[in-house]
Amino acid sequence: MLRLAGALMVAGGMSTLGFLAAGGLGRRVRTLRALAGALELMERELSFRLPPMPELLEGLAKRAPPPADRLFARCRAGLADLGERSLGELWREGLAEFPLKGDERLLLEGLGEVLGRYDGEGQRSALREARSALEGMLEEAQAERVRLGRVYQVTGTAAGAALAILLL
Amino acid sequence: MIHGDTRRFRQAAALLPPALRGPLERLDQSAQARAEELRLRAGRPPSLVLPEGERGIPGCSGPIRPQDLGMVLEVATQASAHTALSQVREGFFTLRGGHRMGICGTGVVKEGAVCNLRHISSLSLRIAHEAPGAAVPVLDRLWVGRRLANTLILSPPGWGKTTLLRDLIRLLSDGSARPALRVGVADERGELAGMWNGVPQFDIGRQTDVMDGCPKNVGLLMLLRGMNPQVLSADEITAPEDIEALELASNCGVALVCTAHAAGLEDLRRRPLYRRLLDRGIFGRVVTIRLEEGVRRYTVTPLEEGPC
Repeated sequence: MLRLAGALMVAGGMSTLGFLAAGGLGRRVRTLRALAGALELMERELSFRLPPMPELLEGLAKRAPPPADRLFARCRAGLADLGERSLGELWREGLAEFPLKGDERLLLEGLGEVLGRYDGEGQRSALREARSALEGMLEEAQAERVRLGRVYQVTGTAAGAALAILLL
Repeated sequence: MIHGDTRRFRQAAALLPPALRGPLERLDQSAQARAEELRLRAGRPPSLVLPEGERGIPGCSGPIRPQDLGMVLEVATQASAHTALSQVREGFFTLRGGHRMGICGTGVVKEGAVCNLRHISSLSLRIAHEAPGAAVPVLDRLWVGRRLANTLILSPPGWGKTTLLRDLIRLLSDGSARPALRVGVADERGELAGMWNGVPQFDIGRQTDVMDGCPKNVGLLMLLRGMNPQVLSADEITAPEDIEALELASNCGVALVCTAHAAGLEDLRRRPLYRRLLDRGIFGRVVTIRLEEGVRRYTVTPLEEGPC
């Protein structure tokens, strides 16, 4: 009985790992989509209204799709510490909580060094480039989710079942 | 004599990173009240401009690094260089509280105009002062019977023209010993009213309407058309378009109170732009500011006003 319970737990655990890995791929897609949408909003705001950074971040914290809204809310709150930390650092810290790959993170961290430091056109151009690159990465992430999502789920379940059989 | 106050000094210091703010806040009250500017130059220690000259800041003897200047800009503009850089072709931009930051560096020129600065080499934070009562000694001499004469305030840069004009606007708008007047202020650089989120940071009177952030000539005409002012005011008349707008307003029966950079009336007459202004008899009073051992003295000179 104990052996059966253990085998079921192993099977369940492996299967959960597979589903979690597939879920991670989905989360990454949602994050990239939200960030690309938020960058577009930001670019548009800088084109039409050119608001100061506190106002821009506050607006995006309310209007950007989740989870990107958290990045802007965090940066807005952190502006009180300017002088001790730069906006680039606040931006980097905000990005740390997102499930991004190395090149995606590098791209967005680079954008943080431009925000608030250049004229409107300079920032818009950096936003355009970052968004375009991010959309490319989003397509790859979507393809990866389709390709690997099911593989992770099936592999997890199958590996769990195989281990359970071995244990029994 | 115009004295600053420590509240304004502290407000300006709060726009700086903590490493600079600390030593400034520890300065004695007298220095804080008299401070006019903070100068930051790459490779040199920061210094403070007082009426008697420029001096070092205790506890700040190390040289300013270029990245420090970048940080000062980021803090002062709240990471909004794009809003400040839209004013940078003027050589300075206005900060919260009406303080003014002058900026020097390598210009980035696009289509013949400076659109940005890189390699910032120096910054100057001019502390905006309010001097309630500064205009009281001159106010009575600006009236011709029951009519306010069109008035031009003259002085070299940094001698207190804007401060005097601001107090004059306040007195006219609040009605000090005379009926209160509706004053329209074309505050192109945001120095007179120091508007922040639509609220003036300086006391400019109860009956004052402010048009800020747009060219003076445009602001003056918008105020004239839309706000029915009895007095129109603008700081630092520098362009032929400003003079055209003033002429138009003057012909509409609105009193003018403005400032211009000049050492005095003779200096003003030597410049073709202002000569035209004087020849047309737009202004009936000129207030000249002199500095005598750090004390500001005002001279009011009546001029022949032309027919309006």
